[in-house]
Amino acid sequence: MHLIDQYAYSNALRRLHPGIKAGLALTIILLCLTLNEPAVGMVAALWMLGLAVGLARIPFRTFAGILLAEGTFLLLATIAVILSFSLHPSVLVGGWGIGVGPIWVSTSPASLYMGANLILRALGAASAMNFLSLTTPLVDLIDLLHRLHMPAIIIDLMTLMYRFIFVLLESLERMVRAQDSRLGFSGSYRRRMENTAWLATHLFIEAFLRSRNLQQALASRGYDGGDLRVLPIEYETDRRLLVLGLVGILSLVAVWWLV
Amino acid sequence: MSQLRRHPKRIFWATLALMMLGAQSVWAGSSAAPQPMHIMEGYLPLPWAIFWWLVALPFWVIGFIQIRKLLREKPEQRLLLGLSGGFVFVLSALKLPSVTGSSSHPTGTGLGTLLFGPFVVTILGTIALVFQALLLAHGGISTLGANTFSMAIGGPLVAYYLVWKPLKNRVPTWLAVFLTAVAADWVTYVITSTELALAFPDPQSGFLGSFITFAGIFAVTQIPLAIAEGILIVLVFNALQSSAPEELAELGIEGSAA
Repeated sequence: MHLIDQYAYSNALRRLHPGIKAGLALTIILLCLTLNEPAVGMVAALWMLGLAVGLARIPFRTFAGILLAEGTFLLLATIAVILSFSLHPSVLVGGWGIGVGPIWVSTSPASLYMGANLILRALGAASAMNFLSLTTPLVDLIDLLHRLHMPAIIIDLMTLMYRFIFVLLESLERMVRAQDSRLGFSGSYRRRMENTAWLATHLFIEAFLRSRNLQQALASRGYDGGDLRVLPIEYETDRRLLVLGLVGILSLVAVWWLV
Repeated sequence: MSQLRRHPKRIFWATLALMMLGAQSVWAGSSAAPQPMHIMEGYLPLPWAIFWWLVALPFWVIGFIQIRKLLREKPEQRLLLGLSGGFVFVLSALKLPSVTGSSSHPTGTGLGTLLFGPFVVTILGTIALVFQALLLAHGGISTLGANTFSMAIGGPLVAYYLVWKPLKNRVPTWLAVFLTAVAADWVTYVITSTELALAFPDPQSGFLGSFITFAGIFAVTQIPLAIAEGILIVLVFNALQSSAPEELAELGIEGSAA
């Protein structure tokens, strides 16, 4: 989490208007889903990897590492789609099957293709999402939603949650370290559970006290309820990303056309 | 070997058990890898992705209207609500001790439902899901509707209206709290399995066959974790009642938003 957030603030495309990056990512996701071809997903993943490494200067290993973790998870999750289980021996056209105990496990070229398509399609879409989250700080995206007229209440909740996730995570780490150094997590299951419960309880109390402090701090500066206002952020535009993004989108359609 | 061959059933169950344990520890063990509870970006076919967005839409509207009403009556709750959302998110990052030695993470929606009511949790949970997609590469935007429906709508609503409300004054509070938290966690996984089975029915045994397979992967492995989350929430609830009674009163707990 810190890793993604860190790159979001330090990458070379940081100052770019979030509308361009979000628009590109959403278009790629939509194309992966509508064109629905394994080759499209693969090309999309390569494009996003290229743009993230080439333009945003995200280390290759970071982006590829995240993709690899997602690929592993997808592989596990897709087992249920590739294999089919039944109580009676039956095989689909051109398929294979073996009996394992009382259950008959089988697969077929059609399900294998479907599984591969699923994994590659999801990888293509996920890489577009990774590109967005590695290049765009969440404050920029919240600002984008604000410009798109998302209700102010939701914008405020998002801003507060984003800020306090990191504040509370820090307190959480501090409390875990304190408990751990007093052997809080080495003992019976019961004790570990009790300690975790105290952790959550004190985290809640801390969150509550912090919200009260913030309330007082804002009230003493003249806040009396209503929407929170902040200065708008200024962005740059980058023609390279616009051009390359457009070429990428066209290439996805071309791949779909050719396959 | 010959003895093993004579008990194919036993081997089957042993393998299945090992597979489940293995899968569980793979998912639960590495915090970097996406957790299994959300459907990944791009995983659902477009029609299903749109369908679940449409299903989630009315609940978002109800949740939004409730929050707006709450904030009109008590404007000072705006900050508390944001902090609570952060708390629910961080709670899901908490490591839950589990019996097998591996660890998992609570969904956090059970406690959220008890503290703030189901519809407020729908909004806070949706924002948390967006953040998880963007900060943890976990879940996604096209699958946001489906994930919201399982984690922030179905789980909290079932837990609140079918478990918490009917049981609240009939059984000891700890039992009602426990069952509410277990239900919120477990129903989430059952709905996720249903969503996946609807999108990917088994070519031979149809929706039911594929539901059993997905439920075997998600919902069955989740039972011990749901129970662990239930125990944790009971302990947290008790501790909150003894050490933060004023804060709870201010939130209007036990009948919150009801």
